Amino acid sequence: MNLPTNTFKIVLLLFSVLFIGSCSNDHTLGNLDATVFVRHKDADMPAYIRGNGTEKVFLITLHGGPGGAGLGFQGNAFDQIEDNYGVVYFDQRGSGMSQGSYSEDDVTIDLMAEDVLALVKVLKRVYGDDSRFFLLGHSWGGALGPATLLKDQDEFLGWINVDGSHSPKDLYFEYIRNFERVAATQIELGNSVRFWESVFDELDRVDRNRVTLDDFNTLNRLAFDAEEYLTDDGFIKKVENGGISVSDYNLLTFVWNLLKIQSILDDDFIGKLSFTEALSEITIPSLVLWGRYDMVVPEFYAQEAFENLGSVNKRMVIFEQSGHSPMFSESNQFAEEVLRFMDENK
Amino acid sequence: MRHKQLAILFYIFQFALFSQDQEKSKTQIQKTSLSENFWDRTEFKVGFVGTVFWSNGLSIGGEYLWKENEKTKIRRGKERTNTHQFLFNGNLGFVTNFSTKTDTGAYTNFGLTWRRTNKKGKQFSIEMNPLGYYRSFLPETYEVNGDSVDKVFLPGRGYYAPSLSVGIGRKRKGKVRSANYFNINYTMRTPYNAGALPTFSFQYGFRFNFKNKKR
Repeated sequence: MNLPTNTFKIVLLLFSVLFIGSCSNDHTLGNLDATVFVRHKDADMPAYIRGNGTEKVFLITLHGGPGGAGLGFQGNAFDQIEDNYGVVYFDQRGSGMSQGSYSEDDVTIDLMAEDVLALVKVLKRVYGDDSRFFLLGHSWGGALGPATLLKDQDEFLGWINVDGSHSPKDLYFEYIRNFERVAATQIELGNSVRFWESVFDELDRVDRNRVTLDDFNTLNRLAFDAEEYLTDDGFIKKVENGGISVSDYNLLTFVWNLLKIQSILDDDFIGKLSFTEALSEITIPSLVLWGRYDMVVPEFYAQEAFENLGSVNKRMVIFEQSGHSPMFSESNQFAEEVLRFMDENK
Repeated sequence: MRHKQLAILFYIFQFALFSQDQEKSKTQIQKTSLSENFWDRTEFKVGFVGTVFWSNGLSIGGEYLWKENEKTKIRRGKERTNTHQFLFNGNLGFVTNFSTKTDTGAYTNFGLTWRRTNKKGKQFSIEMNPLGYYRSFLPETYEVNGDSVDKVFLPGRGYYAPSLSVGIGRKRKGKVRSANYFNINYTMRTPYNAGALPTFSFQYGFRFNFKNKKR
């Protein structure tokens, strides 16, 4: 019984090609394209390192969610940032394509902040101790960012808060206030009246005195819906491009991770977690970027973050035609603001 | 009211019982006597495995025919004969996501396949592999313990990965490439993060019986 040697050779060759193709990395500083995993406290988390690292200045991004995807920032704005600096897109613990083995009790925001500091150590190991870092957090990343900086802000040259949720504790009640305000204005203007009237109906159904996870999720979903109506009515600019490309993530793994990590963390931070008081301890240069029509983390928090940050060097920019993600709706202006901040503080 | 419902159920049940007897009386099962030669009862398979969009790879495997019988049924006056087989099977595969290199892994699994083949050679199979192992292969990985950062040799994680496949195929009688198949596969990886990760993939490939070459 002889196996045909040609068939065997072809199969072996295909296995080799697959294996070699799945391991290659490019650390050329001028044109970075590498995926490096950070193994920390029973989790393996991918960092996708892209862009121009010639100055060894890196922008570390913290995605939203929890359970979002690091590469979700990709698009016109981050392409422009990549042309000038290295950008590190990081899948947080239990998110994106992160893997590991740990119990639900082990997952805390404290541990996730330690993961970010572990990422900094790995980047220094790969690119040298003279590497310098900026930290950018969007949405949930706006809570994880302060949690990281409060542990060790000396590692960072600056903090960029993009529509970040630094105080999920009060977000529920601000949702109600913001919906009432925006819905009243839009009805008065005669825009999508049926939808905005239904928002009032929804507000009548939720508990106005106590935060429940179900009601929070209802309002959170409603916030995303509201942004779609605001886009249709011309208040928010349509997304130019961006987001995750279909081949970047295994969709099933991504969705499963998202649902799992949210089920673990939501109870711990919604209605409970707040960094508002502690923001004064953050003294590194800070940039607060917000969409005027952000319904998911309303503009109120931009002002609150800006006023409470302890930095002497701080700046706030409101994007007039944006909602929760100005990096997509006003990408050129967004890139301009981020690059100016990095240029001034590197 | 309750008694009335029970009476209706009993009435339906007696028809089900009766029709089952009728079916049985029309079905004949004949056990096939199989060759004692190991290679006569063994086929190899090779095929694509993955999800196309996110992961692509190659799977090889083998099947050993354990039991076979022919089931003859008379339906609408026509006699239909299907072959039913139970096979032991083992697989070895490698899958990767070229785009981000974050979904690379090798797996092996072992179990039992039930396959029905009709007169035209069309096949339907269910493959259960309770013994499965998946080893992820990560690209460059660094482990952080306090202030020490160490590069990990051959990074990745091992998972218990039982699987279930449902598939169709077509038999090519007397040929070395003895069949083709298309399976939809469900695999569980555990422990994965703080739970058990369900994964789906499909497989398309060919089975080979090298003994057929000599005939």
